[in-house]
Amino acid sequence: MKNLKKLLFVAATTTALFSCSNDDGTPVANNVTLAFHNTFGDETIVLGDATDASATVNTSEAGQIHHFAEAKYVISNIVLVEADGTEFPYNINDLDNGATVVNLADATTLTYVLNTIPAATYTQIQFGLGVRSDLNTLDEVSNPNFYALAGANDTEMMWEWGTGYRFTKIEGFYGSENETLSVHTGSTVEGTQDEEDTYTQGVDAYRTITLDLTTAAIVGNSAPTITIKADFDKLLSGATNTITLGEDNATPNIHTAASMEQFVDNLGGDGTTDTHGMFTIESVTN
Amino acid sequence: MVKYCMLLAVTITLASCSDTTTEMIPIENPEIGFTIPANFPEPNNAVYNNMPTQYGVELGKQLFFDTRLSTDNSIACASCHIPSNAFADHNAQGIGVEGRVGLRNVPAIQNLAFMNFYNWDGSRLQLENQPLVPIITHEEMDSSILEVISKIDGDDTYTELFRNAFGDDEITPERIYQSIAQYEYTLVSANSTYDAVMRNEGASFTESEANGYATFQQKCASCHSSELFTDQSFRNVGFPINPSVDEAGRARVTGDMNEYMSFRVPSLRNVAYTAPYGSFGQFETLMEVLDYFDTGVIAADNLDPILKNNNNRIALTTQEKEDLLAFMHTLSDESFVTE
Repeated sequence: MKNLKKLLFVAATTTALFSCSNDDGTPVANNVTLAFHNTFGDETIVLGDATDASATVNTSEAGQIHHFAEAKYVISNIVLVEADGTEFPYNINDLDNGATVVNLADATTLTYVLNTIPAATYTQIQFGLGVRSDLNTLDEVSNPNFYALAGANDTEMMWEWGTGYRFTKIEGFYGSENETLSVHTGSTVEGTQDEEDTYTQGVDAYRTITLDLTTAAIVGNSAPTITIKADFDKLLSGATNTITLGEDNATPNIHTAASMEQFVDNLGGDGTTDTHGMFTIESVTN
Repeated sequence: MVKYCMLLAVTITLASCSDTTTEMIPIENPEIGFTIPANFPEPNNAVYNNMPTQYGVELGKQLFFDTRLSTDNSIACASCHIPSNAFADHNAQGIGVEGRVGLRNVPAIQNLAFMNFYNWDGSRLQLENQPLVPIITHEEMDSSILEVISKIDGDDTYTELFRNAFGDDEITPERIYQSIAQYEYTLVSANSTYDAVMRNEGASFTESEANGYATFQQKCASCHSSELFTDQSFRNVGFPINPSVDEAGRARVTGDMNEYMSFRVPSLRNVAYTAPYGSFGQFETLMEVLDYFDTGVIAADNLDPILKNNNNRIALTTQEKEDLLAFMHTLSDESFVTE
């Protein structure tokens, strides 16, 4: 009996050691931190009200000055990819543990920690700007925490009428008269979950972002930080569309119609020729 | 042998009554369906996956009239969808908790089983996906489905209704949505004077009503078609535009500029009970609507071609308007609003 206990202890210890590290002593898993650096070009965005002189002012390709009072976006469906194509999906079907709202006004939201990523050398990251249609149902029972986060009064990342999440929400001002700029994006598709052919109407504003890592992220002894630049200059001056703001597209009632898709393509790519939109890898620190 | 069988039956009955581990005997919950009036179109496909049952409907009705669906327990579905107004109300725009004013006019709830689109912009394609919208909308009930469940959980009436309707007393969002939809599917209206005339049930139109019907067929029925009195299309008819920045009509859903400020053609059944009219209650009376069409509507690139081809108006004489009003009143189903 005593021997058996000893044996069990040894076995347990071995297992414990094993799960912490490989034979060569490196941990089998570690964290990866995603840091979101939100800019106009190379300049970090400072938010500000209409007449706030400290706000970062940007000039679009079409020559319009603009600045933001508020900017938020949803990141979900995160996948880390190794050089050989092996993918590690990070809680991709669980918004509570795999999605976040980046809010420029809240520094704590500018980093998002991915826990217990298997030790490996990752050369690419993929993530979604917005929420996949099959998860975009405001399912409070399955995802109570994300639901609460998105629905909070100071977040307002929900489209109640479409029972879906807002994917991006930007409030700001443009032109010398500080006219209102208000860009809200989100999907309006509706259908029966997992039945593709029932999705007969609406706009799918979800975009998959694919970014090759400039330096491989080596998870193991190190817990890398991947800094992702979100260059909001692309909002009006994107790879897909050069947008001039005016009465017919600067506020939601008009842009939800035709030009929401233009904003979406600029921010998240058009899904074909542009698969990164405003996002690039700024740095990888191992 | 007979005696033996009986004894056996009695034994089994006794056994099943005294067996404390056995769940309650399942309640019979027959499908009750709903009436499909003559010449009505096929129901929405979703109906066949959620056919009304006796207790499903009873549960849905209980929920429909329950103010606990709103965050401050002040507003039920029926607060805005008032049965005596054909399940619409008399406000220009819906009014929710704390007197908050919604974006649009409250639509009537009738014959929904036969509709392929719900809401003014058709954002929902099946009724089961609709109840969550008012529950969470800030200007309506401003609650959440978990808040609703926490309030009704443990209420004996609901415990029994959920068990009867779904076999056990678990309260889930899906069961709430399904039962409310089941109740709404049963709200079929097809017993107006018009129906009695069409079905040759001994009723007849007055001269004015008959003239109105003739004018209606000539000038209105291309959109307000079929026995539902809507072709379920989305059209920009050049009505005064809702100033809210949230309004884009059907384009809000489809992202198609050709559908900017287009709205679902509303059914005209029970229309006399549902004033005011228009997507945000622009018109106090039906006569105002007719006068507006006659005078001329707002031009737009995507104005409905029928209006565009007629100088942006539907020309109507005073007599035609009076007759049309008389005809529209024959679409009132008294039995529907007094049930």
